[in-house]
Amino acid sequence: MNKLDKQFEQMMKGIRIDSPSSDFTLKVMSRIQAEAAVQKRPILADYQPVISKKTWIIMLVVFVLLLIYITVSSPEAAPATNSGLWSTLSGKLSALQTPEVSKIWKAGTGLLTSIPPVAFLILTASLALWTLDSFLTRFKHNPSEI
Amino acid sequence: MKQADDIYYIEAVRNGNVAAFSHLVEKYQKLVYTLALKLLKRPEDAEELAQDTFVKAFQKLSTYEGKSKFSTWLYRITYNACISELRKRRIDFKSLEDQRFTDQDEMKMYDYYTETKKEDQEKYLNLALEKLPEDDQVLVTLYYYENQSMDDISVITDLTVSNIKVKIHRARKKMYGLLHEMLNEEIYSLL
Repeated sequence: MNKLDKQFEQMMKGIRIDSPSSDFTLKVMSRIQAEAAVQKRPILADYQPVISKKTWIIMLVVFVLLLIYITVSSPEAAPATNSGLWSTLSGKLSALQTPEVSKIWKAGTGLLTSIPPVAFLILTASLALWTLDSFLTRFKHNPSEI
Repeated sequence: MKQADDIYYIEAVRNGNVAAFSHLVEKYQKLVYTLALKLLKRPEDAEELAQDTFVKAFQKLSTYEGKSKFSTWLYRITYNACISELRKRRIDFKSLEDQRFTDQDEMKMYDYYTETKKEDQEKYLNLALEKLPEDDQVLVTLYYYENQSMDDISVITDLTVSNIKVKIHRARKKMYGLLHEMLNEEIYSLL
């Protein structure tokens, strides 16, 4: 800065700078608090399920392999072939069907009846785990909503 | 409050202490508002833009790398917001016609100015500043009032340092010219 600049600076320092309204900080901070509340929500974008995707895939593969094993193995080996819910249902429904439809129906239900109760148990347990996972995830990210 | 203090509050905000941002608002609100007012003219527009600037700064705080001063970064946001607002309104800056005012004239004018009453000094200085083109008002305020370096002003306004030098030099001469006219008028009115 040369002498002329210094002189001019001294002059400029003499002026008063403009001021916004007295509640300016309050207004800005209330907008920022609202903004901060909105910014917190995207945390859900970092959603980390309690049961990982990998675990779900392994469980699905195990379940499918179990189904294949049961289907491929002899139907006589399955203890619930002629009893249980599916056989009762299929028996009642088949009475209402035409011969062609009942033939297809029997083929389908025959497959299901060959599934032992343990497989249904696995399916129910998986669904229960999935429900629990959803609940825990919601609780973790938004406890006030629970 | 220095740049180190700014960094302290910035880190606090980044760590989740939103209230710490109020220190930065308190510190810089006057200059952000002044810059907006110099460019937009209307106090209500300037106040709204100043608020928007702080909200924007808060939203983008994670992108502030600390390469420049926080004030420089904040004034750049303000300046850019003002420019886009003026573009929306299709308002161009006033032009600054050349003022034939030598360095010696400036020296004389300064002596003359310092002899006038304190309250008149401020009044005439404000009037002269208002007559400058809007962008020159910003440059003069940043350089002489806020003591921002030419490099920092270059970051804020996207103008080259040499361009800023020329503009500030011409603005200063123009202001002296305007002060000369106003103070002469006052003398004539007294006679």
